[in-house]
Parts: sequence; C-alpha cells; structure tokens
Amino acid sequence: MTPTKFRILKIRPSLLFCLVLVSSVPNLAAAAEDDSFFKTKVLPVLKENCFECHGGSPKVRGGLVLTSKEGVLKGGESGAVVDLESPHSSLLLEAVRYEAYEMPPSGKLPDESIAVFEKWLELGLPYEGDYTSKDLATAVMAPEVNETNKQFWSFRPLSRPLVPALEHTDWIRDDVDHFIYAKLAEAGLKPSNEASKTQWIRRVYYDLLGLPPSPSEVRAFVQDSSPAAYEKVVDKLLESPHYGEKWARHWLDLVRYAESNSYERDGTKPHVWRYRDYVIRSFNQDKPYDQFLTEQLAGDELDRVTPESIIATGYYRLGRWDDEPADPKLAKYDDLDDIVATTGQTFLGLTINCARCHDHKIDPIPQADYYSFLSFFENIRRYGVRSNDTVVAASVREIASKEQKAAQQTEIEAHEEEVADNNRKLEAFLKSVKNDFQPVEHEDFKHEMNRIPLVEKRVGSVINQEQFDQFVNLEKQRKQLKRFRPSALDSALCVKEHGSAPPKTHILIRGNPHVPGEEVQPAFLSILSPPEPQVSTPKHGESTGRRLALARWLTDPENPLTARVAANRIWQYLFGRGIVRSASDFGFQGTPPTHPELLDYLAAELIEGGWKLKPLQRRLVLSASYRMGSAMQPDAYDRDPANDLFWRYESRRLTAEELRDSMLEVNGSLNTQKMYGPSIFTQIPAEVLAGQSRPGSGWGNSSEEDRRRRSIYIHVKRSLVDPFLAAFDAADTDNTCPVRFVTTQPTQALALLNSEFVNEQAGIFAENLRAQGGTTEQHVRTALSRVLQRTPTSDEVQRGTDLINRLKAEYDMESDEALRNFCLIALNLNEFMYLD
Amino acid sequence: MNNDLPSTTRGFCGRTRREFLWQTGAGFSGAALASMLNQDGFLEAQENRADGTPWENPLKARKPHYPAKAKSVIFLYMYGGPSHIDTFDYKPNMVGMDGKTVDVKTFGRGGHRNKGRIVEPRWKFKQYGECGKWISDLFPNLATCVDDMAFIKSMTADSPIHGSAMLQMNSGKILSGSPCLGSWVNYGLGSVNENLPGFVVMLDPRGGPISGAKNWSSGYMPATYQATVMRAEGTPIFNLTPHGNPKPGLQRDVLNALQAYNAEHLDQRAGNSDLAARIANYELAYKMQTTAPEAVDLAQESQQTMELYGINESRSASFGRQCLMARRLVERGVRFVQIYSGGNHNDANWDAHGDLEHNHNLHAGETDRPIAGLLKDLKERGMLDDTLIIWGGEFGRQPTAEYAKGSGRDHNSYGFTMWMAGGGVKGGTEIGTTDELGSAAVDDRYHVKNIHATILHLMGLDPNQLSYFYGGLDQKLVGVEEVKPIQTLLA
Repeated sequence: MTPTKFRILKIRPSLLFCLVLVSSVPNLAAAAEDDSFFKTKVLPVLKENCFECHGGSPKVRGGLVLTSKEGVLKGGESGAVVDLESPHSSLLLEAVRYEAYEMPPSGKLPDESIAVFEKWLELGLPYEGDYTSKDLATAVMAPEVNETNKQFWSFRPLSRPLVPALEHTDWIRDDVDHFIYAKLAEAGLKPSNEASKTQWIRRVYYDLLGLPPSPSEVRAFVQDSSPAAYEKVVDKLLESPHYGEKWARHWLDLVRYAESNSYERDGTKPHVWRYRDYVIRSFNQDKPYDQFLTEQLAGDELDRVTPESIIATGYYRLGRWDDEPADPKLAKYDDLDDIVATTGQTFLGLTINCARCHDHKIDPIPQADYYSFLSFFENIRRYGVRSNDTVVAASVREIASKEQKAAQQTEIEAHEEEVADNNRKLEAFLKSVKNDFQPVEHEDFKHEMNRIPLVEKRVGSVINQEQFDQFVNLEKQRKQLKRFRPSALDSALCVKEHGSAPPKTHILIRGNPHVPGEEVQPAFLSILSPPEPQVSTPKHGESTGRRLALARWLTDPENPLTARVAANRIWQYLFGRGIVRSASDFGFQGTPPTHPELLDYLAAELIEGGWKLKPLQRRLVLSASYRMGSAMQPDAYDRDPANDLFWRYESRRLTAEELRDSMLEVNGSLNTQKMYGPSIFTQIPAEVLAGQSRPGSGWGNSSEEDRRRRSIYIHVKRSLVDPFLAAFDAADTDNTCPVRFVTTQPTQALALLNSEFVNEQAGIFAENLRAQGGTTEQHVRTALSRVLQRTPTSDEVQRGTDLINRLKAEYDMESDEALRNFCLIALNLNEFMYLD
Repeated sequence: MNNDLPSTTRGFCGRTRREFLWQTGAGFSGAALASMLNQDGFLEAQENRADGTPWENPLKARKPHYPAKAKSVIFLYMYGGPSHIDTFDYKPNMVGMDGKTVDVKTFGRGGHRNKGRIVEPRWKFKQYGECGKWISDLFPNLATCVDDMAFIKSMTADSPIHGSAMLQMNSGKILSGSPCLGSWVNYGLGSVNENLPGFVVMLDPRGGPISGAKNWSSGYMPATYQATVMRAEGTPIFNLTPHGNPKPGLQRDVLNALQAYNAEHLDQRAGNSDLAARIANYELAYKMQTTAPEAVDLAQESQQTMELYGINESRSASFGRQCLMARRLVERGVRFVQIYSGGNHNDANWDAHGDLEHNHNLHAGETDRPIAGLLKDLKERGMLDDTLIIWGGEFGRQPTAEYAKGSGRDHNSYGFTMWMAGGGVKGGTEIGTTDELGSAAVDDRYHVKNIHATILHLMGLDPNQLSYFYGGLDQKLVGVEEVKPIQTLLA
C-alpha cells in the first residue's frame, strides 16, 4: 500500500562526462508541415515506450490512456497531462524530461524523442487513430456511497431486535440463548450436551483470567451443588486483578502494542509500559468502553485532563518509527496511515486504509473520506526526529501535579545533581575517546545501542581495560538514574500536536505525498451519514480538538459500527470466534454475521448498560450457549462443519501467553503478586540473540523473581521476540491483530521437548512435587491433576509411574531426573494445551 | 488460476477452521500411532472432508502457476551494500580521475549532496570467459564462472538507508511487517521435504544484520512461513538437541508415553484435526533431530569439495561451509536459502564508509572462493539448472568519497548491480547501465520489485497473482501495481 515513490530530480554527472549527442536532430519544422508528423514521428515513440502501460494492454497505469486523442486530453489520476495553452509546462513533458514523474521508468528517452513530444504539443496534439487495447479492463468501479449501500447490514442504524420467542425452552439460561437456540432449531439441530463442571471451570478461568484453576478451586466448584455455584465462580473471576491482565492482552494485540520502534536501532519507547498498565487497570475497573476509547484518542483534549488520560494517548505512539526515513514526507504519511489503519479497523471494523491511493475497491469509502479521516490526526507531531531528545520533545510529558513536584522538591534536586554529576564524569572520560572517532562514529554514538561497543573498540589503544570498566559503570549508573526517578518526575509517552491552528489536509494523488490534490476538511465516513464534526479548541490551546470530535462521534450511540464491533469482540474472546469472523472487517469483504440479530442485541445491551463490559461478559459465560460441550455430533458436523450455528463450543488451544503462564502456575512458580511497572526480560538463549546485529543489545536482565511474572509484562521488542511466545503465535506487532493464528508446527514440539525454558520448568515442577513428600504415584497424581485440572484416572497415573520406573530401571536414571522427565511429558500434554 | 494455490481466505488473519474427521476409526494405541506417523507424508495423507473448510497442511507441496525453471533459490546476501563500480560495473573512464571534484547528485546516510570527490575504482578489471565481461580483481575465482552469470547493472531501490532498504530487499516494503521473499515462496509452493524447514537463513558469525529477525519474518502471514536460522557449527537448529544428552532410546520412550496420553485424549475427541496434527508434529520434530544434522553434516563431503568451497582456508572457511550447507539443503528439497555475508555493523559487513580497500578485500576475500565453488559444484552435479542463485546487497555505493579524507563510499540506491545464475537464467549476459560514474542507473532501469518478480517467475509463480489476503487487501510481494520479471536475462 506504500504509494509509488518518486524522486523529484534524477541526477547525472554533467561536467566531466557529457554525453555526446547524436547529431542527427531531425528537421522538425519540415516534418511539422506534414500531416504525417504524428504517424511518422510521434506514434513510433509512443508505441515503443508508452502504450504498454497506457492503453495498449488491459492494465492501465495511473488512469492515463495515451492510445487515443481523447485519452491524452482527459489525463490521468494526477490530472491533465497536456496544457495546450502553454504546452511547455505540460505534465507530459515534465515527465519525459524526468523533472516530475520519471517516464518511461525504465530509462530517460533520448533528447530527440523528447523534442518530438515538445513539437507534438506545440502543434496542438495532432492524433490519428485509436490504438486502445480491446481488452482494456474497465476499471472496477469502486462501490458508491448511495442509499442502497447505506443499507448494508453493518452500516444500518442499530436497533434492538426482539428476543426470539421459543416454545420448549428448558435449555435457555439467558436471553442470548434464545438467539442461538432459534437458529439451531430452524436447522433441525440441537445444542451439544452441557460441558462437565471440570471442563466449564477450566474454560471460564482461561477465558477470564488466562490462568488455570487450582485443583482445590476445581474441587470446591465440583462439590458445590448450590444453584449459585457457577455465579460464584464468575463473580470471583471478574473481581480478580488478573482479569485485567488477560483482557488487556486482547486489546494490546489490536493496538499492535510494542515497546520498541523497529528498524536499524529498534530503540526502546520511553515510559510505554504505563500504557499497558493503563489498559490493565481500565479493564479491572470495568471502565466504560466509550470512555476507554475517548481517553486513548483524545485524553489530552478532555475538559478534565488527568495523568491517566495523558497516558492513554500513548495509543498514538505504539507503532513503528523509522528514525532515518529516506523520504521524510512519505514517512509522515506512512505513520498517519498506520494510525488510520489501526483506528479504522480497531474501533470501526473498517479498512479505511485501503482508500489511501484511490477509492476503496471493495467498500463504499471514497479516497476523500480517507483524507478527511486522516485530517483528525494531521496535526499530530511525528514520534520524533532521529535522536532520543526529539522523542522526548514530541512524545513525552511529565504527569505529576505541581503539588506533587513541590512535595518532592529536595528529592528532585538530589536526583538532578546525580544526573549532572554522572554526565560530567562521562563527558570528561569521553573526551579522549571522541577525539579518536571516525566521522561516522560521532553519528553512531548518539544512539544508545552503539555507546559501549564504540568505546570498547578502543581498549588497548586510547583507553585501558580499567578505564573501560569505569565507563561501563558510569553507563550503568546513567541508565539507573534514567529508570529510577523521583515519582514527581514520572512521565508518559503521549500524543502532542503542533498547536491549535488547524492544519490543511489535501488528498494525495495516488497516495503520493509529493502530489497534493484537492483540500479536504475533517469529516466522518460518508457511508454512515454522519453529522458534521463539532470541533472546538481545548482550553490549553495545545491542540486542535479534532481528535476529541472524532472520539465523540465514534462513541455516539447513533454510530452503527462502534458498539457492533466491540460487542463482537467480547463474543469472540469468549466463544473462540466472532459472530462476525472477520472481527476487524465489517465491510463488504468481511464475513457476514452468523447471528446478525444476536450481534445487534449485544451491541444494544452494551450501550444500554453504559458501555460496561463485565455485566455482558458475566451473562455470556453463564449462558447455556457457553456451557455447551465441545464434543462432536456427527450429524450436525455433516450439515454445519464450520459450526456456524454454534451447535457446540469450539475447542481451542491456549495462547502463547496462557501456555507460558500456565507452565509457571502449575509448577508453583508463577509470580502473580507483582503487577504493573516497567517490563521484564526473560532469558533468551544465545542462539536467538545471535540473530541481532549486536547480540543482546536492547535486552536486559531481570531478577529470577521478575522472570516468573506473567507474560504480559515481558518486554515487547519488535526485532527480538521471546522465542517461546513467538513459537506459539504471539501477535506480530507491526500491524493490528484481531484474530491470532493457531499454527501447528514441528518447531513447537521441539520447543516443548527440548528448550531450556520448558526443561527448566519441568525441573521446578519435579522439585515442587518432591518438596511435598509422598510416593512416586502421589507425585504423578498431583502433577496430572495440576496440568489437567481434573482427577486423573488410575490408568493415567499407572502410565506415569510405569514410565518413571522404566526410566530408572532401563536407563539407570536417578529418581529426581525420572520425575523431571515425567513432568516434561505433563507439560506437553494435548489436554494441558487445549480447552474443551 | 491454479486450484492448488492456498486459498486466500476471507477470514481475518487468514484464519480458517480446520476440521476433518480422524480417519482411523476405532481407538489406537500410542505404539500403533507412532508407527503410522513414522511413514513419510503422514500429514499429506490426511483426507479432508469436502466441506469447504478442510484441514490443510500449510506447507503441503503445491503445483506452481506454470512450469518452474528453478526449484530452489540460494540468495547470497551481501549485507551493507557492496560497491558496484569496484566489483562488476566497469567504469574505465574513471581511471585517472581520483580526487577530482565533480558535480554529481548523491543521496546516502550523509544526506543529499550535489558534488563530491571522486574515489576511482580501487581494483583493476579484466575480461573473463567467452562473454568477455569485465570483473574486478576482487573476485578472481568467481570471475571464472562469468559465463553462467547474468548481471543487472541498473538496479534501483527506494531507500539508501540500511534499515528500510534491507526490509525492501527482503520483503518488498520499506515498512517492517511484511512477509519475506522466502515466506512467499513457501506459501506459494509448500515444501517437498517435511523433515526440513522450507526457508532457511544462515548468518554471519560476526552477528546478524540490523533489524535482526525482521529480515526473515513472515510478517502478517502465519509463523509457518518464517525462516529457520541454521548454524554451521554446533546444533544446526534452535532447540534441536534433546536436553541433557539423553541415552539412546530414552527420548523415544518418553515420547511414546506422551503420545499414549495424547492418543487417548484424541480418541475421546474424534474430529479434532488440530489435536491430530499436533501429535503428528511431535513425530516430525523427532525425525528432524536426525534429518537436520545429517543434512548439514559436511563430514560426508570429500576433501576436494571442501577445497572447492574454500573451507580449507581460514578466511573463506565460514562462508564456504554455509555455501556447501546450502547445496546440501537444496539437494534435499529446501526451497529458499539465504546466506548473509557480513553481520553486525560498519566494517563487519560490506558497509565501507571508512577504508574501502580494507573492507572490500576482506568481504570479497571471504566469499570469492565459496561462491565460485558453489556455482561449479552445482553445475557439476547438474543442479545449477534448477537452482537459482541471487547475489546482491540492499544497495550499492557512491562514486565519490563520503568524507574529506579516505576512500570510504556512502550508500547509493540510485544505481547498483546484482547478478543471478542458474535456474532459468541466461549466463554471460547483462542488462542495464549506470552513467559513466555509476552514480545512477540510466538505461533499462530495474527496481527491487523486478528482481522479486523474476525470482517468483522462475519458481513458476506469477508475481502478479500470488497474493495473500490481509488488512482488507490482496497483498502481493511486488505490490498492487503489475510488475514484470526481467525477461531479457531469462534462458
């Protein structure tokens, strides 16, 4: 989708190596007299160089047809190409002279051919014949914004459907079940039998917390025969602080959350973890979705700006950042496109980004709508300009109040003094080193990742080992000072604008930032018949207020998409797939809802419930639909193999994070106590670090205690992903991810059997079991009940003890190691990794 | 369109329901399962239900769009950007111009400039082969293969900055997040050897390239299509060796117990293809522990072969081993192998900003014998006809000096050279020219996209048809506009 780039000027060495011009410049004047000038001079050049892409073959480039006079006069997507009033300033001539577009792209025409074009235009464009390909593809007409298209299911205004009335309804537990049952009944199918209590509690723990229930929690639930047993579990889970850790992960996938910038340096984003914490807290507090959305898009433009609402705008800073773009203007619009794509898909379920270069080919979204949408973001300052200081200037803000700062004045001063002292010492030390720098190294040294290697190179020449060690210590101290600052200096990664003056936004022809077209004003998507944006400048005068206007429209109950998209995601994350499977594409190419009335019902409930998620989630997990088992029903499978009608619950594999967290949980070592704060670093094996240009660069060490925290706290570095999470389909962070892949590959089996990480977990598991005393049989039984969250059968226990005995007898293995091998198997079980 | 191409599922992130009924009927024991799984092609043998959403092995071998000239690709990636005018793009008129200031527009890491001090090519050129092409003294061995090589001397790229330019050379886009060339090839053609990865990357011992794994990522495609990094020393593939050096037979016993549990679990869940596929993948992984080390075991090669690849000389030993490994992998059906010459930063790769002579002597010296050896070895074994070799970096270098002193050249994406050999390429040919200084391509200019289109074309894939639905669009390696392969160089 990157628009065709073009360079303004093409350059040739001129002084020394002038091309010797072929001297046979044709006698143009004489030829011009002749009517056949076009046929003898122009046509051959056109045929040879232009027709193939401009009318002579089925595919036309740039909308420009040169195979007929009509086509030449009509021009292309960049507008008119000939100006017969002043022929010499025609775009056509600029293009062949390589002054604007470089045409033909394979190489500049000889001067005599360019002269032919000049003369042709001077003569008023004589043209004979039509050479247009008969198969010329009639451009696929982009769908129009019209009344018919406005009636598309997702664009229609939201209305609350009636709950289907059913006769025999023993099965029903909630209104949502009516919608499911009605469709099944219509197809002559029946919902699957209820899942067992052990299956259900496992499912609900993972879906709400991302963690397994402990054997005692399972036991308590199974033994609780009171009618409220299910409710009790659900209420407890929704109140758990770990609920936010699970649901935040879904959100972070959507906003392509990462903590580094990609590209050569892949630098770390300052304070970005506060955004992750904000998301976790928002879910835990059950913050209304409209507020959650508004804070992220415009938390700095609210009447009451809080540290939290500033942190929320970190939303705009989570993407890639090329700190040395070849074409800065293109980079600006690439960044904005990233925001349009993420915002459009995440909140509206529309791929507005497909209308960057031309009208959307599938949905009724004209190109002008793309730029009108982009204009809400046009005034945002770019993430930074190369160095870290510029990132701080453009994207970081202190969040403490004046009172807080005053209260910590002494502490702040002491900190600043330490920073200054460290800086003085570093500067003094670096003097001699910098004198030795090559010019290129001065530039390199500005980047964190290069500082130590550049100094280390000089051990033995400019400095000795001892001096180098001192330097490393100073660097450590510098990093510590940066990381641990008085809380009154707390800062957030956030959005900033260029001021309150509204910027101009132009349509960019073919998405090319160097070819601005008509100016557009902020406007919402025309297919949704929206109101005019009500933009008012915030009191602080630091931004335009446009983003708040956008957020207000998105959260307007009249907006047909926002609630539908959000309700669909809630369903998706509980039932394994959305009612609309293409959860971020509610357009013409998306998959239509399997239960449109149910979707609208849920969306209406969401709005009426004040946009709160938890009440809806509570109802859904307590519904009969959610209680269904996942077992096969051959006749239903024959009729509805894709389970479109939800005749059974969809079995699913644990996500990468759930799998890692569960391994730590079942072996007794997961650190759930510590929540929030700067991200942690797992131990990444040297073989994986070797893929970095500087192995280990940008990856730190965390304490044992920190390494045992939940996966959501692992540092997300774009160019270096924890290999265990990567193997199990963690979301790629360059683009928004609404649905994770679930791949099955031999590399996963290798990771589970052979990796350091899993083997270490198996060891801890074995140790933990032994510490509780008991026999081998008891160890096996406990291990299986922890990973399976049910009581194992005696055969299953027997198989485990048999294996342990065999390993001891046949391989002369110590008991501890034999138990560890069994624990490894336990962590590899399909039943551990899949939910029924 | 060929029906064997992967369906571009309309579901987001390409997710499909993979459902098929387990075809074995009654329950089965772990041992029976293991023996059945041990047959080659187990995954292929799974019958699908005719329900429109069949389970499909994502790496199942697929028919190309049209008959392929090449079965495999070996991309010799010269990381950092080798200087074209010091290697293959002969500029005799520059001789004697050293130190003169010329007006020439350049754009590199140092920004835009309008004039500069000429650094004339630092190596002598000679004519080689029947085709009589000029090659510099940097490649005395490779030069003897010139009649098999086809040069594109008018390459252009969108960026003269390593980060974005490398992403473009590897994934077609200057923005990170798109699948790499090797991912596209495996997505389009699948793998003919399920015991080895289909897309292999080998790194320079000095370190990876900048942006690391982004250069071999599958981007918005599933991880199935991302590259596996293989090493010439130690364990060839990450996690390939069982933990703690177990006694023979032990791992099999452990695995049998695991599979017995898993088989029992599956037995109660007929119709869950994911569970079956996971069981099968344990067996694949188990086999891979033997097949992968064997595939890269150079002890099976003769002394003569080792010498041919320069493995007996210390400077070329590392790259030589990797080239020989590449041949062995290609022999076994691996589709796409990429080897990095150069790693880390600055002079640890071809990025000659300081001392051009030191830098290029080093890197050419490391690779000249191995690459010549690879071409000759493939030819002798009759493998060159269907193995496509690509040589090049993310861009070339400028004709002028970067700094007031020294011979270092800045980056140049306005014009540079790449070459291809083997699978469907006409040897001893060339196309395109740069101007007299080599500062920019002027005739028959080609873009990175054209190289990508040519590679896909030779692999039997139509570059303008091979697409993957993502983000509301049928994404293609070469982008939305039609791109043509470089026909002139094709046999």
